[in-house]
Amino acid sequence: MMHVAVVGTGVAARVLTSPGDVLGQPVDPTARFDPATLLGGRGLRYKDRATRLGLLAANRALADAGLLDATGTTVPAASVGVVVSSNLGNLDTVCRTAGAIATGSVTDAAPMDLPNASSNVVASSIAIRFGLRGPNVMVCNGPSSGLDAAFLAASLILACRVPRVVLVGVEPVNDVVEHLADDPAGDLFDGAAAAVLESETSATARGAVPLARLGGYARRTTTDASVDRALGAGPPPGLWFAGRATAAPPAVADVCRKDLEAELGAASGALGVLQVVAGTCWLGAEAGPALATAGDPADGVSSLLLTTAGAAA
Amino acid sequence: MTPAPHAARRWSIAGIGAVASNASGAGRLFDALCAGRSGLSPLRGFDAGRFRTRHAYEIDDRPAGVDVPGRATQWLCDAVAEAVRDAGIGADLSEIPVLVGTGLRELRSIELRWTDTAEFPSSRWHFGTALRERFGAATTYTVCNACSASLYTLGMGADLLATGAEDTVVVAGVDSITTSMFGLMDRVQVDPVDRVRPFDRDRRGVLMGDGAAAVVLRRGGPATCWLRSVSLNCDAHSATAPDLAGIMAAIEDAQARAAIEPADVDVVLTHGTGTALNDDVEAIALAKVFAGPTRPLVTAIKSMTGHTSGASGLMSVVVAAQILRAGRIPPIAGLTEPTDEARDLRLVTDTTTCPDVALAQVQAFGFGGVNAVAIVEKGDR
Repeated sequence: MMHVAVVGTGVAARVLTSPGDVLGQPVDPTARFDPATLLGGRGLRYKDRATRLGLLAANRALADAGLLDATGTTVPAASVGVVVSSNLGNLDTVCRTAGAIATGSVTDAAPMDLPNASSNVVASSIAIRFGLRGPNVMVCNGPSSGLDAAFLAASLILACRVPRVVLVGVEPVNDVVEHLADDPAGDLFDGAAAAVLESETSATARGAVPLARLGGYARRTTTDASVDRALGAGPPPGLWFAGRATAAPPAVADVCRKDLEAELGAASGALGVLQVVAGTCWLGAEAGPALATAGDPADGVSSLLLTTAGAAA
Repeated sequence: MTPAPHAARRWSIAGIGAVASNASGAGRLFDALCAGRSGLSPLRGFDAGRFRTRHAYEIDDRPAGVDVPGRATQWLCDAVAEAVRDAGIGADLSEIPVLVGTGLRELRSIELRWTDTAEFPSSRWHFGTALRERFGAATTYTVCNACSASLYTLGMGADLLATGAEDTVVVAGVDSITTSMFGLMDRVQVDPVDRVRPFDRDRRGVLMGDGAAAVVLRRGGPATCWLRSVSLNCDAHSATAPDLAGIMAAIEDAQARAAIEPADVDVVLTHGTGTALNDDVEAIALAKVFAGPTRPLVTAIKSMTGHTSGASGLMSVVVAAQILRAGRIPPIAGLTEPTDEARDLRLVTDTTTCPDVALAQVQAFGFGGVNAVAIVEKGDR
């Protein structure tokens, strides 16, 4: 029976120096955090902030998973897929261009903005930089988007399209994002998180260590239904990633809760992937499963279970 | 998460729906295409004085010509409603996943909020909230994969059937023209474009179109047509330009997954955008793949719908389903003199009756080199 595991993680944010910081306390913001400088190399000049953040987190996760060496990827290019979650990623380009045309004309639009006007620019840019020719998917699915992206990435593996996928959640902060934010006074997360998902068989075959296993997942109309379906008949989790305002379903009423957005700021499409990275770190020291929940009850609420890797099916 | 022990060889497309600039409804769209009726018009919802390009393939549904938010969401819901009605599964999608492929999601409405201070809350930037309200759907996904988005979601939807996670899924595609994409395309094209002329020597480039398409995908029949395979890959080559190697790989993978030979394909519904780059690369790829004596007919619906971006791949599937059912193939409107690269292709220039057509290949390629190719087979109803 095939299982999908997390085999590497990475982060890129002013307040995060390593994946472990997501689970602990964010570090004091550095005065300047420039993902392009940290990435180095060519081709970054016209990339938007979301793309630069996503590239850096992907780079770190791929390296952590043992998939990068000095010459590039250590596995065939077509064997790696990319799935990215972001709701706000390219809104700056879209709104700035629309504004320039509304107050002037099309000659005021910048031709180099064309690639960034397409919402999948982060996912395709990761493929181009690292030469990843597997399925390439951009998910913009609202507050639950990061967990949904994890499910869709796992589905590519379970359907035997690719043995591994780099999963990225990213949101930038810029003038447009701040202007359009639901809570103008609230803190916003500016950064990216990434996890490499791989079939446990493929990971073991190339000597990689599975860090956590993806378990049940469900997107449902209520938090209760989503949590119940993701947990199935299994035991209650040892840790529940969920917002403070979310009412706890009976199944997790006594479980310790971790609200990542309370510490990192509103993370929108990056949240679910931050939860996956934090859950993976937590499972490095704890035995019990970790459950992540995110979403909007007016739309849908998603839950994803992470369990100890390598356990019997 | 674990896969089912066995995967189906084919899945039924049990219902279809579509909305475009030249017709509303899958059947009316097919009739319009076969009649050579285009949705091209002078700009309706955009201030023509601010652009060099003065035409597009817009759906004419704005009250008094004034642009309003939420139009893409409305077309999406209309196409989904038609598809589920056609499939006879009822309008309650509370237990059925809906995968929506889109290039530009509701970015037009976000632009209106930015420039005209229109009301448009973040809960409507993706399509889940509206699908919840209209169909009770909770397991919904908005996938933003440029111009191959809805063919990508067709493949991802088929994967959910193949792994045993679901028995039925709804797959849809939608896009509305944005100022930013329309403007930037206008900005980079050499001359203003007045219509989409795929594979024609005198083509000038691409014009965008509004549209939506939807299908119901099931494990068993009856089938309007059968989905045999969808390939998904990425060129990993360029942010905007297509790549011959990536497109060839996508076509060959789709045919291998369907366990067919090139000679088995009767008709190809191309991506066919009318740009210099796409049409040449796509024509070269088709000439290489179909190098034998038995070659398929080749058509391009964007010549009448415009480039409906993320909706276009699934719209071609909806048209392919009706080609296979009716034995009629709509033409490439406006094609008079093919390019050198396309000269040896069997390009359809007039509506062609072809009763034995049984297997269709549908292609969609997007910005960032995201490619998807589907193989569909004649159904049983």
